[in-house]
Amino acid sequence: MQLDYIKKINSNKINMKKRSVSFTVLLLCILSFAHAGAIKVVTTTTDMKSIAEFIGGDKVSVTSIATGYQNPHFVDPKPSYIIGLSKANLFVTVGLDLETGWSPQLLTSSRNNKIQKGSPGYVDASEGVTLYQVPTAANRGEGDIHIYGNPHYWLDPLNGKIIARNIANGLERVDPSNKSAYETNLKTFDDKIDVKMREWLTKMAPYKGTKIIAYHNEWVYFETRFGLHIVDFMEPKPGIPPTPSQMVKVINEVKANGIKVIISSPYFTTSSSDVVTKQTGAKTLTLATSTGAFDSIKSYFDLFDYDVAQLIAVLK
Amino acid sequence: MNLNSILKILLLIIPLTTNEIIAQIPADSTATDSLLLKQVEEQMQVNSQPAPQQTRSSLTFNPDIGLIGDFQGSYLSSGKKNLDYYLNETELSLQSVIDPYIRGDFFISFGRDPETHKYGVDVEEGYLTTLSLPAGLQLKAGKFKQAVGRINPVHAHALPFIDLPNAYVNYFGEEGLNDEGLSVSWLMPTKAFYQELVFQTTAGYSNSPSFARGENNRLVYLAHLKNFFTLNDNATLELGLTGISGGNDSSSVTNMGALDFTYKYKPVKLNTYHSFTWQNEFFYNNAKNRTLPSLNSFGLYSFVQYQTAKRWFLTGRYDYAQKPFDKSIVEQAYSLTAAWLATEFEKIEFEGKTTDNNIEKRFYQLWLRWIFVMGAHGAHQY
Repeated sequence: MQLDYIKKINSNKINMKKRSVSFTVLLLCILSFAHAGAIKVVTTTTDMKSIAEFIGGDKVSVTSIATGYQNPHFVDPKPSYIIGLSKANLFVTVGLDLETGWSPQLLTSSRNNKIQKGSPGYVDASEGVTLYQVPTAANRGEGDIHIYGNPHYWLDPLNGKIIARNIANGLERVDPSNKSAYETNLKTFDDKIDVKMREWLTKMAPYKGTKIIAYHNEWVYFETRFGLHIVDFMEPKPGIPPTPSQMVKVINEVKANGIKVIISSPYFTTSSSDVVTKQTGAKTLTLATSTGAFDSIKSYFDLFDYDVAQLIAVLK
Repeated sequence: MNLNSILKILLLIIPLTTNEIIAQIPADSTATDSLLLKQVEEQMQVNSQPAPQQTRSSLTFNPDIGLIGDFQGSYLSSGKKNLDYYLNETELSLQSVIDPYIRGDFFISFGRDPETHKYGVDVEEGYLTTLSLPAGLQLKAGKFKQAVGRINPVHAHALPFIDLPNAYVNYFGEEGLNDEGLSVSWLMPTKAFYQELVFQTTAGYSNSPSFARGENNRLVYLAHLKNFFTLNDNATLELGLTGISGGNDSSSVTNMGALDFTYKYKPVKLNTYHSFTWQNEFFYNNAKNRTLPSLNSFGLYSFVQYQTAKRWFLTGRYDYAQKPFDKSIVEQAYSLTAAWLATEFEKIEFEGKTTDNNIEKRFYQLWLRWIFVMGAHGAHQY
């Protein structure tokens, strides 16, 4: 009888202990929610991050999953990215299947229903962008084609304004109390784009119609905005590494058109374009495709400052 | 009725009708004509032009559908009938978000029986995953590949070798530990590194040699702790601990402990050109028996994979395995696999393997595998 009594006391003690432990855990959970602070934004790429920082100002803290010198098609879905996503208030994606190989998996694993597709915290920055190269048939025999159109649209600075609008909309959905601040920042950003756009266009104006070669089909928006003319690509089809026959074709095109430059990106090796350079004298130029591609490119505006300056230096 | 009364009635009706007629005809009839003409002309113009294109969404609620073909050829240094070609497996995947709360993933496998060469259908995996549980929890229910280390959760076509490590096959079979039940995973609130705790309970009907469902309610329980560290931008380390307990075919209990350790080097800038992986798994098995003393055994594999160029991968693997039923029988094997990844949707692999054990002569095996993917193809785990 006495033994039973002691057992009962012990089990009560254990229960109390359990209860206090679970209470502490609960308290910690509540505290961690309450201590939210700034709006946490996770973007897939650095350009989205830069624009989100312009729009969000001091109301947000932004991190990007990909770096600026990384191929945005092939980011490794490391579990460590899930930590940031699980706590994010807003997720910004370039969209159009650019990140299809990695971001959907990370989003599902994040267990964060605030940022799933269709939720207020999900921003597809491509909404409203006029798309180029929308295929009429989905055939993988054409290489890495994107069924919605070419997804490298942020390389037209005017599309930066659409991205900014989409991000502002997202921020206003998750944080309506700061709507006026976001709208003011958006206006400032748009005005700066307009001012800089005139400067870039003026600088590039003398080179309108200049024929160039590109490594990968990722420049159509840049090419169209700045009036360049990409004659051919080092890759015979998007995603397929350069073949000897393609290189011969490019060499002939460079010679026939007096092409001065082959543009590439930090995440492609230049061994194949170096061969063309040796054969023809055309220069291989590694341009920045995203903010942070090189140390000096700290913002979305720096990106075009850099690319325009580099191109002019070679084409002059 | 006389003529007079008829006239009277007519006189009464006519003003009414004429009034209506007059009301319908506007004062200026030429203006009406031109307006009408204009309308007709406009209508004609519209008709002569092609119908305006309606921007209708071509989206459907069909799930993402993918089909993976796995063609193989094999050679074995012993035996008479030792050269073969076969369509090893055809995997049909159907994946979709179901509603705001869950998503569904199905993998239907059309496999070939190595003995009869007949093809049979099997649900390789079929499960739901919750999307919106609180507190970092995720629930899975259905038939799924269980969370043991680094090989078991991966579909065979995505592995960097064609055969499976000896120790793994001894404990889990060619199909792996793939059972029906429930899985809860908790994304732990650790800030410094990624930590996930998985707990699974399954019925025990899988084809794995270690576990079997007897005539009682003894289920299989599994716990896995995954720790993932980012060493720097280019290198990561994963350390996993697994414990499994479940009924066995001796109407008793088998307990297993497993450890996995993976180091990956993948330079962020040129990650599509070069990478290096060193992956290891250790298995310890304790199979209890009602009448006989319990059996302990141990096995491991270790492989290094080096990506030499954008599309080329070389994988060298070492296997060590004690037979679970008799640990004095020890297998050791070395294998080398060369893979050419044409695109994300096609790869060709060639593997050679030499196996030694202490009861029979050394033997050699060769395989060729050609994987091809149609339609949607989900991302692989890192």
